[in-house]
Amino acid sequence: MEDSEAIEQLRLCAGCPKMCRHMCPTFLAWRSDSPTPHGRALLMYQDAKGTRALDERAIEVLYQCLECSQCLTWCLPQVDIATMVENERMRLVNEGRYPRGLDKISSAIKTNHNPFAEPHGKRNKWFVPTKTQGKKILYFTGCTAAYHENGIARSTVSILSHLGYKVSVTPDEWCCGSPLFRTGFRNLGIEQARHNADTLNKSEGEQIVVTCPGCFRAFTKDYPQLGIELKKPVLHISQLLEKHLDALRAVDFGGPITYHDPCHLGRHSGIYDPPRKVIERVSGTKVVEMARSRENAMCCGNGAGMRTLFTDQASTIGDARVSQAREVGAKFLVTSCPFCKNMLASRAGKMLIVLDLPEMVLAAFDSTSKVKM
Amino acid sequence: MLDTRTKAKLVEQIEAIVGPDHFTTDETDAVLNAHDAWPLSEAKIRAGETLPLADVIVYPSSTEEVSKILRVANDLRVPVVPVGGGAGTCGGTQPTYGGIQLDLKRMDKILAIDGESLLVRVQAGTVGIDLEEEVNRHGYTTGHTPTSLRASNVGGFIATRSGGSMSSLYGKIEDLTLGLEVVLADGSVVRCKAVPRHSVGPDLRQLFIGSEGTLCVITEATLRLFPLPPSRHFRSMCFPDVHSGLMAIRAIFREGIFPSVVRLYDAEDTALHVSTHFEVEEGNCMLMLAFDGRPEKVDIDESISARICIENGAKDYGEGPSKYWWEHRYDMYYPTKFATSGFSVGDTIDIVATYDRLENVYHEMKRVMEAHGAAVMSHFSHMYPNGGSIYMIFFVSQPDAESAWATYREIWDDGVAACLREGGTMSHQHGVGTTRSTYTEAELGSSFEVLKKIKEVLDPNGIMNPGKLGMGGHT
Ligand SMILES: Cc1cc2nc3c(=O)[nH]c(=O)nc-3n(C[C@H](O)[C@H](O)[C@H](O)COP(=O)(O)OP(=O)(O)OC[C@H]3O[C@@H](n4cnc5c(N)ncnc54)[C@H](O)[C@@H]3O)c2cc1C
Ligand code: SF4
Ligand code: SF4
Repeated sequence: MEDSEAIEQLRLCAGCPKMCRHMCPTFLAWRSDSPTPHGRALLMYQDAKGTRALDERAIEVLYQCLECSQCLTWCLPQVDIATMVENERMRLVNEGRYPRGLDKISSAIKTNHNPFAEPHGKRNKWFVPTKTQGKKILYFTGCTAAYHENGIARSTVSILSHLGYKVSVTPDEWCCGSPLFRTGFRNLGIEQARHNADTLNKSEGEQIVVTCPGCFRAFTKDYPQLGIELKKPVLHISQLLEKHLDALRAVDFGGPITYHDPCHLGRHSGIYDPPRKVIERVSGTKVVEMARSRENAMCCGNGAGMRTLFTDQASTIGDARVSQAREVGAKFLVTSCPFCKNMLASRAGKMLIVLDLPEMVLAAFDSTSKVKM
Repeated sequence: MLDTRTKAKLVEQIEAIVGPDHFTTDETDAVLNAHDAWPLSEAKIRAGETLPLADVIVYPSSTEEVSKILRVANDLRVPVVPVGGGAGTCGGTQPTYGGIQLDLKRMDKILAIDGESLLVRVQAGTVGIDLEEEVNRHGYTTGHTPTSLRASNVGGFIATRSGGSMSSLYGKIEDLTLGLEVVLADGSVVRCKAVPRHSVGPDLRQLFIGSEGTLCVITEATLRLFPLPPSRHFRSMCFPDVHSGLMAIRAIFREGIFPSVVRLYDAEDTALHVSTHFEVEEGNCMLMLAFDGRPEKVDIDESISARICIENGAKDYGEGPSKYWWEHRYDMYYPTKFATSGFSVGDTIDIVATYDRLENVYHEMKRVMEAHGAAVMSHFSHMYPNGGSIYMIFFVSQPDAESAWATYREIWDDGVAACLREGGTMSHQHGVGTTRSTYTEAELGSSFEVLKKIKEVLDPNGIMNPGKLGMGGHT
């Protein structure tokens, strides 16, 4: 976005009577007029216009944004707050004026290549190679599935093997850079991106599959924008499974299933139908939609550094999303993102069974006729 | 702004009441709370101007906390400006004299839905759309559908006597509010029982409804509910002029029919908002109607109303324009490049009058407002058996801020003067706030003294939203 275009957008938004605020998850979490789309635009506008420079609190308000783009769905003039916040964060990082809590993530990625400061050597510990001899596919696991949601990673490999793929992972996988791009650490993100592109372009797989929508967006949107080329097709697991619907096993899950659209997969990548088709095939039932779904789906609360910096408010948003699933009587809350799954499962307790798509598909493969959970 | 000692004392006591996480003295938060949706504030923000700021913003979670905060403010003589959704259009939440902004947004619980008596008890900070969607899930509607439903909250609706676009059928918020809990300046909590009608002296609820934070803080309300209407039909009728449209509207009410929507667009408003999507002859005026209820009743009401319109010279446009408006009713409030460029500012003077004066008010206001070079377009927006309201919308653009703000003020001065001269009342639903504050005395005439005396008794230190509703400054 050109500077003049950005200022024009900020100018529109700075004088908007808060037409989308009711949909902003951070408004819900703080119940204050500060962390809102209009609030953020106003601060950036005043800074750009020279009325008032961003102070520490203003910077915090910008970092309270999930970059979920929910506001964009409700904005008639299409003011893209998430992109403008991200650009502003980039400037703030370059000037060294970002919340120090983020150092934890950025330095962990720099040294260990994952945001959790886990040893890089443990990244693929979950992986057990299978004997399938088929089409070669490389699974780019992503940090969350590799370290915190191994069930998703293992399920993915199992399903792909069921479908006849020869799955490999690479020991040289680094964080895709998504958390860095989203929080303004672009240069560090580019380092990760370059490394990953080299690794993946050299690897054996004919195509790359990811389970994390953050990785998917990084590979398909951020890398190309940065001029970094991946020479193989990248598929999200939901897209790949959609191609094999007939080979998936259908069983009775014994209760209504709803689906949470991850922001990076839905609004940011336009993938809404593939995961739904997979769920419907595997369960033999229609997805029971939440009041807020597809383009209008609410964020889980885990995005863009929020959980690291503002844990309580991130949880409030996660709780609200779980309540929305319960409101439609769901027994299962399925998503297609390890990061969302991690957040939603941590908030759902025993109220709901939260599954990532590969876990659900594998549960069907592993059951005879009825899933027991 | 408060002096340093008073501020320090205030902050210490507020922290003891709400804890460290539920108040702020940060300038950034004050900047973000400095404005509501008053078009002049929005225009000033775009022009790079700054607005008056509060010293402290407090986010209470209960009536008890509100009461304690008011007691402290009263002791220290600190102004208190209640904040609802912050989407009022009159500068009502502007902290003109600094002090506390008391933001009710954390008080957002829907406490009880009573299907037997058709009531809902709700905290004041609940956003309109959240309440409406929740009662919809139970098969009801509040019947309150202002276009600020997504941004404003229950306390704000009540504090400004707001009106939804379906008020012809369901009533305005003053008709919909049965019970009320408010906190006075000295911290005392006052409750007005929820009963359908009563005969125990004056209705004190109505004293607080529309008081815009100058007499009390509204903390809780009991609102009426209606079963969701089984059907809603839209109908549009195009008249050769405003006069014939108004004749038809009067005749419809005389038949005992209460459409949910009755909106008559004058030629300019029709040209801007209807002709862009439907073929309409130049100079014609579109009437938009909606009917809620059981299909049999809706059919009869609609066909009688259609006949009346045609007898008054209308062309039948079917459901088209009316339905289109309903489905796009929020669109006109989004900012556009055109309306926000340079030093442009627009606003709406939402007057109300009885039928015998309504047309004169309309023509006179239009004349004096246009004399300032403003583009003026209007619709008769909320109609009743005895009269109705007009949205007199104007828009001006000037080469510099000073002349833009001055022209804006002159249009208001002359527009309101014309309204009062012709026997209208200066607001149907938006309230007074800062915009209309100086006209309040002229509007209320002899009853203004009564209002002032009530204020002196309930708020002797003048801490409650000073400078609004014509009630002077903070001393
Ligand atoms: C896009 C848009 C469309 C609109 N459409 C309509 C419409 O169709 N109909 C209509 O009537 N209005 C409309 N309005 C105007 C306005 O939103 C309403 O009048 C609304 O009632 C204001 O509510 P709020 O919660 O936003 O109040 P605020 O702006 O927060 O406050 C308004 C006034 O009430 C006081 N106040 C707020 N809460 C309390 C409380 N709890 N106790 C005491 N005082 C309080 C404030 O101090 C202030 O003086 C519209 C505004 C916008 C921006
Ligand atoms: S993002 Fe769009 S709808 Fe939301 S406040 Fe800004 S201009 Fe208004
Ligand atoms: S991107 Fe999401 S969190 Fe950020 S302002 Fe928009 S709706 Fe709010």
